[in-house]
Amino acid sequence: MRSRWRRLEGFAFVGPFLLLYVFILIYPLILGIGISFNRADLFGARQWVGTENYARLLADPVFHQSVLNSLKLVLLIVPALTIIALALALALNRPTRTAAVFRGIFFSSSVLSVTIVTLIWRFVLTPDAGLIAKVMQALGRDPIPFLSDPNLTIPALAITTIWWCIGLPMMLFLAGLQQIPGDIYEAASLDKASRWTSFRRITLPSIRRTLILVVMLQTAAQLQLFGQAQLLTAGGPSGTSRPIVLYIYEVAFGRWELGYAAAAAEMLFLIVLAVTLIQYWAVTRREPER
Amino acid sequence: MSAGPRRIGLSTPALVGVIFGAAIMVAPLIWTLLLSFKSNADLMRDSATAFSGPYTLENYGAILQGSQVFRWLLNSAIVSLGTTAGVLILCSLAGYGFARLDFPFRRTLFVFVLLGLAIPEQAVILPRHQLFAELHLHNSYTGLILPGLVAPFGVFFMTQYFRAIPRELDEAALLDGASRFRLFWKVLLPLTIPAQATLGVFTFLGSWNDYWWPLISATRSDRFTLTVGLASSQMNYAQTSGLGFLMAQAVFASIPILIVYIIFQKQIVRAMAGAAVR
Amino acid sequence: MTRLAWLLLALFALGGCGGREQKTEIVIQRFFGECGAVYGQSIDVRAAETECGILTTLINRFEAENPDIELSINVVAWPGYPQLSAQIAAGDPPDLVTMHQSVISDYQGRGLLEPMDGLLREAGIGPRSFTAAGRLGVTKGGQIYALPWDTIGRLWHINTRLMAQAGLMDGSRPILPRSPQELLDHARRFKRATGRPYLIQAQVNAPDYYVANLYTYLLAHGAVIFPDGRHIRLNTPQAREIVALFRTLNAEGLTTRNQDFPAATASFMNGDGGIFPTGTWMIGPYDQEAASAGRPLQGHYAVLPFPRLWGNDAAFVDGHAWVMPRRERTPEQRRALARFLRFLAANNFEWTRTGHLPAFQAVLATPEFRALPHRADIAAMAATGAQLPDYVRRQSAIQGLIGEELEAAVTGIKPVEQALADAERRVNELLSQVL
Repeated sequence: MRSRWRRLEGFAFVGPFLLLYVFILIYPLILGIGISFNRADLFGARQWVGTENYARLLADPVFHQSVLNSLKLVLLIVPALTIIALALALALNRPTRTAAVFRGIFFSSSVLSVTIVTLIWRFVLTPDAGLIAKVMQALGRDPIPFLSDPNLTIPALAITTIWWCIGLPMMLFLAGLQQIPGDIYEAASLDKASRWTSFRRITLPSIRRTLILVVMLQTAAQLQLFGQAQLLTAGGPSGTSRPIVLYIYEVAFGRWELGYAAAAAEMLFLIVLAVTLIQYWAVTRREPER
Repeated sequence: MSAGPRRIGLSTPALVGVIFGAAIMVAPLIWTLLLSFKSNADLMRDSATAFSGPYTLENYGAILQGSQVFRWLLNSAIVSLGTTAGVLILCSLAGYGFARLDFPFRRTLFVFVLLGLAIPEQAVILPRHQLFAELHLHNSYTGLILPGLVAPFGVFFMTQYFRAIPRELDEAALLDGASRFRLFWKVLLPLTIPAQATLGVFTFLGSWNDYWWPLISATRSDRFTLTVGLASSQMNYAQTSGLGFLMAQAVFASIPILIVYIIFQKQIVRAMAGAAVR
Repeated sequence: MTRLAWLLLALFALGGCGGREQKTEIVIQRFFGECGAVYGQSIDVRAAETECGILTTLINRFEAENPDIELSINVVAWPGYPQLSAQIAAGDPPDLVTMHQSVISDYQGRGLLEPMDGLLREAGIGPRSFTAAGRLGVTKGGQIYALPWDTIGRLWHINTRLMAQAGLMDGSRPILPRSPQELLDHARRFKRATGRPYLIQAQVNAPDYYVANLYTYLLAHGAVIFPDGRHIRLNTPQAREIVALFRTLNAEGLTTRNQDFPAATASFMNGDGGIFPTGTWMIGPYDQEAASAGRPLQGHYAVLPFPRLWGNDAAFVDGHAWVMPRRERTPEQRRALARFLRFLAANNFEWTRTGHLPAFQAVLATPEFRALPHRADIAAMAATGAQLPDYVRRQSAIQGLIGEELEAAVTGIKPVEQALADAERRVNELLSQVL
């Protein structure tokens, strides 16, 4: 009898978390899927329409635009972020005090909230009162309309995001680099290997797992970019910098079409899942059986 | 701790690159600081006056006098501390349960929890809003704290940590007749303090900087968290006539989190690194 | 661990505490900005300036004069509709909230607002005391859903010094164009003479601006924009002509570009252009500028309604109003609301010092109002201003959609016809989805 209670004792420990987990994460997830099959407004009205919302989404050029914008953002942000973070990690992977200070500087922006970051960067980028504009004026040039030119808004969001998020990947790379034992490098230099060869043959393969992790994490994260787009450009001009999550927000709270927004959210979920799986498959495919 | 092909020092281009990068990191912050020390009238004429001319503390004075920033700060503190405490308790309990105890469906449930890591916020946030509306949980601290308590990463993290503790300690305590809970509470939990610190700071940061959920859940301005309050300041015409004040708010809002960062830098870094070196 | 438990307890206690039993509390939500730092608890309404200042001091005065009523003020970022919608969806909306008259039908059509005929009667306010535009703006389906607060007109704010330089002044009155061709001629002449753009426009993040231009001139044509509650007609020759005009202005650099509202306002005040089309709400601030020594606008500021470029004189107006979202209220709260509404109505004149037109006929007639600068030039809008028919729901969402497409057309991202066709399609789709 005591042993039966023993067997169930575990539930007492995991129970509280599981209860909240099911109630606040799983249940809404299922609810959301349900809502996406309805024509629903924000205030409780519901009407079953089957897959109509999904059909509409697939035909909606504004939704397509937002998907494209999200993809553009990922393509601009992730490679740049990865390369810069890796470069910084390589450069700052020293035990000196100066390196520690620099590491601190590069990481500090990551602890700020999105609204602080956009407030700061709005007044760096805006063509009338911004820092960049003032510097350009001092150099006798015209200010650049980062926040309103359709070709510049996405790069502007990308720059802001890279500035904001550089810390975490850099730290991940540092942790990965520190796993590499120093004697390998000594052996390589004894063999007269060049720096570049060392890098290519020793460093890169060793941090492969970290590299993959960084790329996958950042891709998933930047596909869900929201705050910067809402606060810096409001998705403009004409939706040219509106990513998927901002689209969902506007459909839900601006147009009151909850069902349609829920369907878009599920589509985003699928996109993130698909992209992550594709990356995983691409990576494990090339990995020979060890 | 070693790495890098040669340890002489950075090559010049690399050094230049790092310094240049650091300058880009710091320039916007300094600009914000400068703007916050100028009067609104000066800035309205030309924001370049931030580089020179008379500086003033009047914006900070205005904050101390009448801004809602303090209220927002308090709300953020309550929500973040509450979430952190809750996560540490729930995830420690669950982590111990998964790591040490044997109960039916243990493996399945663990995988079930891990799947939660794959679910993006957007898929859940709208129906959760409706759910909380029916339960009248909006505009309350509970409504802001509850979603933050669902932390699959926390459970995973604590489970790994508990697993790493040698079982001999368990056996010793159990032989002495201790209950499982006592074992957890008195023996194992104190050993997880480093993990607690890491998870705690990580959770605190995430909760402090959370944007979308508080935006739609705490809609009364006296319930705003700092993040949402700043967003609402940004979207006003305040930009026209109150640039200095706006920037002072930004500086003010950054101070608490920067302090947390400076004190807990090690934990934050360890939390991030821990995710990679799994 | 015990310490943590105490901390938790303390937090929850803090979270739960509060609540005043003695006074009647009503929650009032408004936009217009936050200026507690400047006005604090001041009740000197006469000395206050700007929308924020005047409203803050008015509210302070009401609280001082009515100690048994507690006003809980919630200031939201303009326009505050996503927030209000979230609050209503959450079942906890404010008692009274500021709302644009054009948006009332959105919420009223969905049954989310309370009719206010009864409460207004209790407050001693009769609908006949409203101006024509005000009454039109708040009456939906035969019932009154708001207390009108003002009428907002779109106006051309003019820098007369630069106009004089371009030879576009007739004595002290600016010469405004009377046809689209004349507009372009004036604009080009202005640019040649002064080297600056004829128009200063806030085009970034301003869908309402584009839509106001379009609606104004479509109404001037007498065009029917919404033939019924489910359809819009936008891809018409008149609309194309209107949008093409603004596109030309952009293309030829006859207007500023890439400016949001703060930038455009600063630009106008710094004398960077001739005319800033915006609204009644800027009369107050610009008047102040014109009175300040050493400022570019000093003594050279005029304001007039939009020029008649096509068809008849038409003014597309909007207005602010105070609405009551549906919710449970105690009789004491209703009485408190009635007193507050009565107070607001009695002080409508103070609000007009911002530049907006009054919502009450009586105020229009007072010498105080007439004495306010520039009002005589624009007072007619309170009577002739037109809004969209009240069966048009979701005007706020529609404005966002159309504004987005118009921005694409005017700034050259899309061809005019395609933009109007897209706008039409998107609005029709939105209206077809309304439950």
